[in-house]
Amino acid sequence: MAYILDDDGRALVADVRNFCEKEVKEQCKEYDVSGEWPKEIYDKAIELGYQMLEVPEEYGGLGIPGETVLAMYEEMAWADAGFAVTMAASNLALKPVLIAGSEEQKQKCCDIVINGGLGAFGLTEPNAGSDPGAGKTTAVRDGDEYVLNGRKCFITNAPVADFYIITALTDKTKGLKGMSAFIIYKDTPGLSTTNHENKMGIRTSITSDVVLEDCRIPADQILGAEGTGFATAMKTLDLARMFVGGLAVGIAQRALDEGIAYTKTRQQFGRPVAKNQGLQFKMADMAIQIECARQLVSHAHKLYELGLPYGKEAAMAKCYAGDMAVQVCLDGIQLFGGYGYSREYPVEKLLRDAKIFQIFEGSNEIQRVVISNHLLGKF
Amino acid sequence: MEILVCVKQVPDADVEVKLNASGAPDIEKIAPVINPFDAYALEMAARFKEANGGAVTVMCIGGDNVKDTMKNCLAVGADEAYIINDVVEGADAAATSEIIAAAVAKLEETRGKKFDVICCGKESTDYACGVVSQLLSEKLGLGEVVDVIGFEPKDSVLSVKKETEEGYNMVEIGTPCVLGIIKPDYEPRYPTMKSKMAARKKEIPVVAVDAAPVSAVKTVKIYEPAKKTAGVKIKEETNEESALKAFAMLVDAKVL
Amino acid sequence: MKNILVYVEAAEGKAKNVGLEILSAAKTAAEGGEVIAAVIGKDVAEAAKQAIAFGADKAVVVDGADYEVYNTDVYANALAELVKKYAPKAVFVGATADGKDLAPKTAAKFGSGVVTNVTGVAVDGDKIVYTSPVYAGGILNDDVCESEIEFALLRSGAFKKAEPDEAKAGEVIAEAIACPADAIKTKITDVVKEISETVNLEEADIIVAGGRGVGSAENFSILKELADALGGVIGATRAPIEAGWISRAYQIGQSGKSVAPKLYIACGISGATQHVAGITGADYIVAINKDEDAAIFDIANVGIVGNLHEVVPVLTAEVKKLKG
Repeated sequence: MAYILDDDGRALVADVRNFCEKEVKEQCKEYDVSGEWPKEIYDKAIELGYQMLEVPEEYGGLGIPGETVLAMYEEMAWADAGFAVTMAASNLALKPVLIAGSEEQKQKCCDIVINGGLGAFGLTEPNAGSDPGAGKTTAVRDGDEYVLNGRKCFITNAPVADFYIITALTDKTKGLKGMSAFIIYKDTPGLSTTNHENKMGIRTSITSDVVLEDCRIPADQILGAEGTGFATAMKTLDLARMFVGGLAVGIAQRALDEGIAYTKTRQQFGRPVAKNQGLQFKMADMAIQIECARQLVSHAHKLYELGLPYGKEAAMAKCYAGDMAVQVCLDGIQLFGGYGYSREYPVEKLLRDAKIFQIFEGSNEIQRVVISNHLLGKF
Repeated sequence: MEILVCVKQVPDADVEVKLNASGAPDIEKIAPVINPFDAYALEMAARFKEANGGAVTVMCIGGDNVKDTMKNCLAVGADEAYIINDVVEGADAAATSEIIAAAVAKLEETRGKKFDVICCGKESTDYACGVVSQLLSEKLGLGEVVDVIGFEPKDSVLSVKKETEEGYNMVEIGTPCVLGIIKPDYEPRYPTMKSKMAARKKEIPVVAVDAAPVSAVKTVKIYEPAKKTAGVKIKEETNEESALKAFAMLVDAKVL
Repeated sequence: MKNILVYVEAAEGKAKNVGLEILSAAKTAAEGGEVIAAVIGKDVAEAAKQAIAFGADKAVVVDGADYEVYNTDVYANALAELVKKYAPKAVFVGATADGKDLAPKTAAKFGSGVVTNVTGVAVDGDKIVYTSPVYAGGILNDDVCESEIEFALLRSGAFKKAEPDEAKAGEVIAEAIACPADAIKTKITDVVKEISETVNLEEADIIVAGGRGVGSAENFSILKELADALGGVIGATRAPIEAGWISRAYQIGQSGKSVAPKLYIACGISGATQHVAGITGADYIVAINKDEDAAIFDIANVGIVGNLHEVVPVLTAEVKKLKG
């Protein structure tokens, strides 16, 4: 375990493990099939404060060290990745506020989260995924208000969020430098969400479009100055990457744990299949990869905490953890043989859950762009 | 009301215990947890407090190793926690109840308040004796009820719901008293992040009561039961064929 | 040679099985000493007679209206008085819900040690050696008790009843004991019987038990049909009880009842140690489970790897054919 935690940290992680084992892990199977958002599971978790792990102490948070939070997210993802994504995505929406917001905005959004609310972060648009500069959502100043129009897509938590961070162009002529970020609270006229996506994995998280039709918000709901939206979004994503990597590690760890348990009981040729060195080596390789990814995550986070540049390492952590999780889950299925391909057994779900980690929060191709830009510089 | 909950830390009962190389129960690597019946007792006490006011104190015999369990108690309803560090190796149930009785007196003295209700989990999952609350009540000269699934105030006494084989009895008992608690129809609460963080910061006083009880019950031999050898496993093409084959074997074995 | 006082618990005037079973254990421990049955209750003459028939040398009876419903203080007072008067070396009590309450409560009055969960009794020199499972049956302890008077709680199903000898003579002594009012600290204000069916798992020769794999309350009817065809009863593990499929009265295992049937059919039961601890007295175990690796197969005489919902009805049909 790369995360080196103190007694308090270990006790918190043990609590998350216990809760997720009893209230999340098995329950989520049914929702994985139905695709329904398991509100009652989230209600329980939110009652315990699982949504507010990243709220800073000065805004009413609990002051849980970041490394402990990473380990707690890993436990959540171990039980159910969709559950963990919901919690992490809410905190993703909090990050731009903490990066660029006013004191008042920070306190207001933190209060929402502390009181059990969730956030949603909306950057992606139908024609602007890896290329956010192609975004078409606009915000036009009108007196004391901005009027937003456009459509964001694949937005986690959108149908259930209490606040949204939405990027929009305040100056279409300036491209990325004309982008600004706004806080929009739920029930604002002009903001609506669509039917939620029928996804391949992380099916216990809820994802939909956010549609803005003449959505008027007070001008003071802009985050920072006009034109700083893209920079804020990029800082947010830099920071979020290590958390996303941490979740992928949780999925992979589950695949290994399931594989170990299964191969020790599954008998073929009169002995447990785990007695075969071929499978032993496979499991050793899985463990090595998982630990590598976890240490990348942990290392990026340490750099961040020390105030050192961490962008490259965070991209590496996210990219490697995502690729690793998919590979380890594939190996996990192989350990189960034919049963691994059956929905009766847990590992096929893990693969479906893991796949998104190569795609969202900056596809792994984009991560490689980020990393190579760091390597090559301008030339 | 002042409620005391006596807690024991046990190895997680979901893990099978075997003997180690030196012939003692191999529990080193098994995660220590609060005895499940004690967790029910704490939850019941916490609910009583929330409904009727008062305070919940927990105590546990042990050393530094039980601190986490005590902190967990503070996160799920206990107001104060004490560690009684009079650990007597091989203490039998009667000796344990003697230490607890001394601890009750000591805590009452330290806190300057008498306990009205002393709750014990009915039994622990490790040795499963299930006699400590009764022994304790006699040592303290108090009344007791076991198999308790609920209690509430009624006039000047407690109305206690005691599970029986056929249903339940309602029992009235004056305070102070001792209750042996079993699983009610609810589960212990989970700690919230907030209660947990607050509990982690609380101090847990360690108290010595200098009890030196003598255990009458002595273990003279510890061993693993003889393994029952597995019989035949039948797995035919269809369930029906398997059933018929098994049936024939039962007839042959003259079991039927 | 020691005199042993055995508390033979009565229900509706008759001795409970466990009380008769532990008379056998007392016989072993007494080594020729006297085995005295103590029967407490209301209208329990019949239970005292049974105790004699099943091996007690004599029986002392505390009979009266005060003893109609078990009350800790009243019963413990009576048993303590008997202990004082008959001065046994050891007091054996069956580990029923009430027995588990009564034994320690009485023992404490003598500063005695209490050995619990006893499944075996032997004699070593002048000591009685008690065997008890600990850690859910994974480990056994042999214990001795060094207090002047020993108290032991013996598990049901662990000892075999003697063949009854109805003709056997044995003195039945009536003792009138009244509990001082100030010793009574509890008052029973209501006795509620929620479980209408009588479930006599401890006495059953054949038990068809269901676990999580049964899947629903309705599915227990398949088990019931097999049990009925066999002339047996149904039982359950903790999971179906917690799921509300069947009442608590049917629970077998560490936190339920210990049973000792001739035939035990485990349906959809994984074989967790907590459950297995309750069936160590079973003579012959048949297990039906679709999980080939289930632990229950390790202790079963015959294991059927298959779907219980299909296997059990076939067995029922065959049993009916056999019994014609």
